[in-house]
Amino acid sequence: MNLLVFTKRVPATQEEELRIVDDGRRVDLSKVPFKVNDWDNYAVEAAVSIVEKAGGDVTAISLGDAESDDVLRRAIAMGAKDGFLVESSDAINDPMARACLLYNFLKKEAVPFDAIFTGVQSEDDQFASVGGILAAKLGLPFASMVIGIEAFEAGRAVIRRELEGGLQERVKLALPCVLGIQSGINEPRYVSIMGIKKASKVERKVFKAGTYREGVPGMIDLVRWVYPAKKGGAVMLQGEADGVCKELLGILKEKGVYQ
Amino acid sequence: MQGASRHPEGERGVSMSYALVVAEVRRGFFEERNLDTIGLARLLGKEVKLLAPAGVACGSDDLSDAVIRAQVQETDFLSPLNMVRIIQKVIDTAGRPEAVLFTGSSSGIELASYAAGALNLPLITDVSGYDPEKGVFLKSYYSDKIFGEFKPREGTFAATVRSGSFKEQAVSKGAPAAETVLDAVETDPGRSFVEYVEEEKGAIDITKADFLLSVGRGIGSKDEIPAYEELADLLKAVLSASRPVIDKAWLPKPRQVGTSGKTVKPKVYFAMGISGAFQHIAGMKDSECIIAINKDPEAPIFQYAHYGFVGDANKLRDKMKDVLKG
Repeated sequence: MNLLVFTKRVPATQEEELRIVDDGRRVDLSKVPFKVNDWDNYAVEAAVSIVEKAGGDVTAISLGDAESDDVLRRAIAMGAKDGFLVESSDAINDPMARACLLYNFLKKEAVPFDAIFTGVQSEDDQFASVGGILAAKLGLPFASMVIGIEAFEAGRAVIRRELEGGLQERVKLALPCVLGIQSGINEPRYVSIMGIKKASKVERKVFKAGTYREGVPGMIDLVRWVYPAKKGGAVMLQGEADGVCKELLGILKEKGVYQ
Repeated sequence: MQGASRHPEGERGVSMSYALVVAEVRRGFFEERNLDTIGLARLLGKEVKLLAPAGVACGSDDLSDAVIRAQVQETDFLSPLNMVRIIQKVIDTAGRPEAVLFTGSSSGIELASYAAGALNLPLITDVSGYDPEKGVFLKSYYSDKIFGEFKPREGTFAATVRSGSFKEQAVSKGAPAAETVLDAVETDPGRSFVEYVEEEKGAIDITKADFLLSVGRGIGSKDEIPAYEELADLLKAVLSASRPVIDKAWLPKPRQVGTSGKTVKPKVYFAMGISGAFQHIAGMKDSECIIAINKDPEAPIFQYAHYGFVGDANKLRDKMKDVLKG
């Protein structure tokens, strides 16, 4: 079983203040730390745990700048056999363009696979679309929001998809297929710094994205970035923690949930 | 008319005079978020054609201008592989639409990306705003910290619509929609529905609680959970959590608040270390009183909270325990 898993290096913006610069044309990420996309971490774990049981290899693929080698080494440390970097210095916003470029790459390099795993979405752009577009271009069955893999064998997979409100659906797919892996599907293994160091010795192949740009359409354009519209907003409590706690308890009493 | 002049002519000169809204019907129920896709379609100023599986009621019969019935079951309708064939059939019959709109849900996003790939449509997901003057669509980035204004290029485009964004615009034109039946399409055996699976029930139902103490990624690690359990006991609150906490198995799934977990409306929702991803907000925004503690002053949750405090959740927790025991 040859499994491909896409992994992306993304800015960790959770606790960062983000500034829009250049007249709305750019978001300044220069001071923001980067990390592996959370969803991809689950996708790598899902792929690796399948080949550990069924045999075969996992190849991690990243479309991004040279620094994206980080997430390939991480995937190798988790159990991927090797890594391919499709190197592009400019960020590609349009999921259609990303998917078509990856499609061209897979075709041109004749990368063999039985299934492709992606994260459901990436934390930065939240498009949740590259896997679906790519599957359609490849003419392969697709399922996203995969929260359980119950069978994965020659020719078929049985998976569970997460719907809303605690409901799931069990779905059968013919292989090869493309799966979008949902966070929480497994417990991604711990990766040590030693493990990543060791992974550095495994060859990662670098391909220039420019080679695969032919026929890659840009179909949507970013006009500008904007900050979210401010709503009413909270009454912000100020001061020392002691005073804040007393104020909070006062609010809880007033609301009748604490005596 | 708003946004109507953007692509007056489609390929082969067929007028793109309508917006195609793909209905989400689940277990026979017309999901409320369909109102958001219909609402955006209304804003586009086009005739609204609702595409739905056969034999299910789709809200009031005047929500859309026309209903196109695909002769498939609901579960086949929701397979992305079949949806491509169905939309292709609609195009063959009714011409190219200006837009194909999907709900912002597990199935909506799956259908939209696959259809966009197969039919080569520009795609914008998670649309939460539209400016008819400029013809731009607002889309969230970085968990709602920044939004992008996007414009699709020429031709039919596809979008998924964030729940709650356009439902007020889903006004009917008063007359019942004309129904047409689409020629049958062959279903694709590459993917097939087996059955629905219900989540396991927990001992505690968080939807019944008046007071929820809810914890998020910001608490840092599983080791912090017992101290929050203790605080919840002292406050007589029930402990709940946001998605990252459940994903990491710090707390069990029945404790999850949000679109893929539970929707809650307690008297007080006390969120500690939760930044407020949209899917979480959707599950708790109707609480009577929301209190949020977060390190990040820019955390989206402060936009929805009634009271907020910028600080470390764990430190405040310990202080609060001291005061309560005090």
